[in-house]
Amino acid sequence: MTTTENNSALDMIDPEIASALAGRAAEISQGAGISSTTAALLALGSVPIALGALASDVYGQTPSDVVDVLQFALLLEYLESEFYTRGTAATGLIAAADRTIFTTIATHENQHVAALQSMLTGKGATPRAKPAFDFTAKGNLPGFNFAAGQYEVFKALAVAFEDTGVRAYKGQATRLIGDKAALTAALTIHSVEARHAAQVRRLVGYKGWITGNSRDSLPAFTQGIYNGEELASQSGVAIATLPNAAANGGVDAYTQAFDEPLTMAQVTAIVTPFLA
Amino acid sequence: MSERPKLSIADVGMLGSARTRREALKVMMMGGALIVLPGAFAACSDDNPTTPQPTTPNTGTPLTIDFAKGDIAVLQFAYLLEQLEADFYTKVVAAFNSSNLTAAEKAVLQDIKYHEVLHRELFKAALGATNSFTATPTYPGVNFNDRLSVLNTAKTFEDLGVAAYNGAAQYIVSPDYLLLAGKIVSVEARHASVIRDLLNPKSADFAPKIFDDAFRPQSVATAAQGFIVDKVGFSGAPSTFVQGPNNNG
Repeated sequence: MTTTENNSALDMIDPEIASALAGRAAEISQGAGISSTTAALLALGSVPIALGALASDVYGQTPSDVVDVLQFALLLEYLESEFYTRGTAATGLIAAADRTIFTTIATHENQHVAALQSMLTGKGATPRAKPAFDFTAKGNLPGFNFAAGQYEVFKALAVAFEDTGVRAYKGQATRLIGDKAALTAALTIHSVEARHAAQVRRLVGYKGWITGNSRDSLPAFTQGIYNGEELASQSGVAIATLPNAAANGGVDAYTQAFDEPLTMAQVTAIVTPFLA
Repeated sequence: MSERPKLSIADVGMLGSARTRREALKVMMMGGALIVLPGAFAACSDDNPTTPQPTTPNTGTPLTIDFAKGDIAVLQFAYLLEQLEADFYTKVVAAFNSSNLTAAEKAVLQDIKYHEVLHRELFKAALGATNSFTATPTYPGVNFNDRLSVLNTAKTFEDLGVAAYNGAAQYIVSPDYLLLAGKIVSVEARHASVIRDLLNPKSADFAPKIFDDAFRPQSVATAAQGFIVDKVGFSGAPSTFVQGPNNNG
């Protein structure tokens, strides 16, 4: 994007932003507030800069939002990457028949880390450093250290991390709405995490999808990963009132049919016990 | 017919899709200019209203999604795909008694049928009567009694659904609808993973790529058209598409 200097200010506005601006302009003319920054820039008469600021008002986000989301995603991918890297390197931990599954996931998570680092660098940001992790979750899983015989704990953690990852990416998607490349990249990782989640869930004996807010047989400290999954309405529509809802699995099915987001704060609370 | 988002009497294909001579005549009268082509009535065997609908893909009435409607168009596109999936799994479940699917596979497919019907019904409710429509799916070459045929078709639909949502998300303006798409796409990805594992257990197939695909709506429509009688098309579809990491959309 270095060739925009010769373009007019109007040409520099993304058509989608321009379209959103039109709607926002109508709101503003109807008395909706604009940020003090935008107001100040408009007062200064700096039209192109004010337009840029207004664009971020339109979406309620700024480029720093995108960087923030990518750094947040990178933390989660570091966690998963280290978990699977240590798991697949351990002797006697993973059942031989399941090895391909976990080496596949490990490869994906390592590549997700690299992709996020590259995206951050591309935006002029410094990717956060990988923290030290505590996979006992501050003693919630006493003695867990990827040793032979600890496969059940390893699989339970995989389920917890994957289901968290799906909800975490989903919760940040709307903050990327103004950056189509970042949004699309994040979504293509998000759905891979969902594939992982379904697979590791079935390895433990769960369904591939989440029912209600059930953590199945995962330890109680993971409940935060599932809270809110039991939502009964989507886009303002009570699912139970839809035609055919009762005949199509009822409450269980309609909570399974929609995965729910987690906020950054909720994810941070889930992840914090795993930070050394 | 009144449910279609946009209806135009475009060609003789619509005549072929009319179920009876009476319907065909009505269609031609609606169209104004009457051009009777030899064989135009051949598709209507008689006036029996139980005559099966046409099953050849891309021969029915135009089903045009108009991007001038903004987010509504994206929801209509999703609704089209969910109709296809819901109808497919409904037929799969209906054929359980005569199929060679295992009990475990039937349990999975029953759940997926529920999910897809709920997705369809939600979009129908969200779109309202004005913007919803009924598409006619068809499954050339699919044997609903055969597990491999069913599971491979399911794999096609689920992978396509994931790529469709991932690709269409960039056209959504409303954060609420973007979130809704996100809530559904991960469930489609879970489906894809499970179906793939049923086909090739404990292999790397459940997640064949480091990044999932993100396809532009036109590419998705081309792939889905093989399972849809209506002629799927777009009006005013965005010409720009921001590729995902696989750069294949």
